[in-house]
Amino acid sequence: MSTIAETASRAPTRRRMRVDGWRWAGRIFLVFMLLYTALPMIWMLITSIKSGFAATQFPPQWWPDEPTLASYQKLLDPQNSVGQDFLRFFWNSLFVSTVTTILSVIVAVPAAYAFSRFSFPGRNFLFFAVLLRNMFPAVIFLVPLFILMRAIGLVNTHGSLILTYLTFGLPLAIWLLKGFYDNIPVQLEQAARIDGATRFQAFIMIVMPLSTPGIIATAIYSFIGAWNEYIYAYTFLSKNEQLTLPVGIQRFFSENTTDFPGLMAASFMMSVPVVVLFLVLQRYFVRALTEGAVKH
Amino acid sequence: MAHVVLQDLVKSYGGFKAVNHVSLTVNDGEFVALVGPSGCGKTTTLNLVAGLTPITSGDIIIGERVVNDLDPKDRDIAMVFQNYALYPQKSVYKNLAFPLQMRKLPRDEIDKKVKEAARVLDMTHLLERKPRELSGGQQQRVALGRALVRDPAVFLMDEPLSNLDAKLRVQMRSEIKRFHQDLKATIIYVTHDQLEAVTMADKMAVMNGGYLQQYDSPAQVFAHPVNMFVASFIGSPAMSLIPLEASTANGNTVLTGAEGWRLELSPRNAQKVVRATTMKVVLGARHSTIKLHKSAVPGSIPAKAYTVEPTGDVTFVQAFLSGAIVNVSVPPNIAVSPDEQIWLEFDQERMHLFDGETEMALKAN
Repeated sequence: MSTIAETASRAPTRRRMRVDGWRWAGRIFLVFMLLYTALPMIWMLITSIKSGFAATQFPPQWWPDEPTLASYQKLLDPQNSVGQDFLRFFWNSLFVSTVTTILSVIVAVPAAYAFSRFSFPGRNFLFFAVLLRNMFPAVIFLVPLFILMRAIGLVNTHGSLILTYLTFGLPLAIWLLKGFYDNIPVQLEQAARIDGATRFQAFIMIVMPLSTPGIIATAIYSFIGAWNEYIYAYTFLSKNEQLTLPVGIQRFFSENTTDFPGLMAASFMMSVPVVVLFLVLQRYFVRALTEGAVKH
Repeated sequence: MAHVVLQDLVKSYGGFKAVNHVSLTVNDGEFVALVGPSGCGKTTTLNLVAGLTPITSGDIIIGERVVNDLDPKDRDIAMVFQNYALYPQKSVYKNLAFPLQMRKLPRDEIDKKVKEAARVLDMTHLLERKPRELSGGQQQRVALGRALVRDPAVFLMDEPLSNLDAKLRVQMRSEIKRFHQDLKATIIYVTHDQLEAVTMADKMAVMNGGYLQQYDSPAQVFAHPVNMFVASFIGSPAMSLIPLEASTANGNTVLTGAEGWRLELSPRNAQKVVRATTMKVVLGARHSTIKLHKSAVPGSIPAKAYTVEPTGDVTFVQAFLSGAIVNVSVPPNIAVSPDEQIWLEFDQERMHLFDGETEMALKAN
């Protein structure tokens, strides 16, 4: 009797101890991860408001003695050549990424729906063929795609990049969206069709609104992929006025003497659209990735 | 309201026939239950009537129209789904209004009909809620409401009660039955639960393996099952089916059990056995038609009680006879213990006899 009572009273305290230990390990790990990801960003931001001299000082100024927005003013000023280039690169990136995003949603939505709902000959084969592309590193396709683009006369156009980004982004977009449609009970569409909708109306009025989170996630994914891509933009485009931001920033600042505050300011501004997009829409993104994990 | 006719309906997937030459007529205002085990083709049949699945061959007639090639929206039907299929992003009001909007009714008329349906189903206070904020029973009601706002020719219901807990199921069962009586609605109701079919339907269509086994009133199906499948599927606990050997000696027809006991048949039952294609005959008896005796009486068969299940108002005793389980009900005041020697007496008037080869019920003439 006494032993039972003893173990019973001791067990809870021991269990709580163990949970606390793990919890602290978890917290320390999270703090470490936070520093690991946030510190470079913070350092980028601090450097961008330094003067050129202060940025190269050693030991570094942890906080600039004379913070200045001069680099930002220079980059955003359409009157000077640096600003002209930066704004053009920014516009080019925005254009390529936006068109890629729109096209990828337009293609991925019906494709994913078809893969999810219809059975047609070669469905599984096609689905895995679509994914096969993602099993190879992107660089493998660099030379073949370049030859292809030259053959169809798309080298030095934004069209070449949009097409390339679509071939990279679409497979995952379709995969992601298909998972989404799989989780929408087919009975909802059937109910809508019995209630008087055509198959297309049922899709537009019932299924589309329910898959908005998936569509948004797909859009973010396509946009970020296109926005950050470097190697293809570097290979396919050679004219200065066509460059996208990643290539533009890199090329521009290696041509001039390295202007670290300017480089950091440009990098910071390049990351702003992505971060803003993600912050605004992240709840959809998380929902899209976890959808179907639990039954509701 | 309208009648529904299925003529020689077939649905095949490759070589597999999910629905195999099914023909039946649902009269105007009739409540018909399609019942059978899972995979028997009952839901497929319902989807064929709804137009959600294209038919392979045959005809479906709703009212006076052949609807084989019509879209679901043009068939003038309403359907209640097992998972209710309420539009999750729409409020209850908008769920109910959707079928009316799709039919381009004027807004004030939609409002009137939605409110009327809500009043009938006692959910006026729920109109602004989203489906996920409702309990299972309330969701069920909304699904029913969405079907009835439109006043369709036929109601199709696909296991509408199977997601509810037992108590609510019994309550909704009587509500749907009441709803049928008030509206004189033509209803085709799919269920795997034979009790639902028996309690609610005017007629039941028992299906198995894509074939329609029997189509008749629940009382008829219960009293005269056409084959062993129907006999064992309808009724709870299931009818006991005991494989026996028939023989005739001195003008008497006798069934012999594997244990060697003999059961002399009445003249009428003997007449049935003569029609069997083999000497293998299966005796079917419901628990209430078997008498349990604690000592031997003429015509009774010795057996040993195997399990005893008291349920309150009746106690079920199981015994093995000829390799089959026999279920007998006794009043709770009769105490039987496992392994006790008992004697079973079959009611010759209410026993069923089946051909051991074809599994079909044997008839006297």
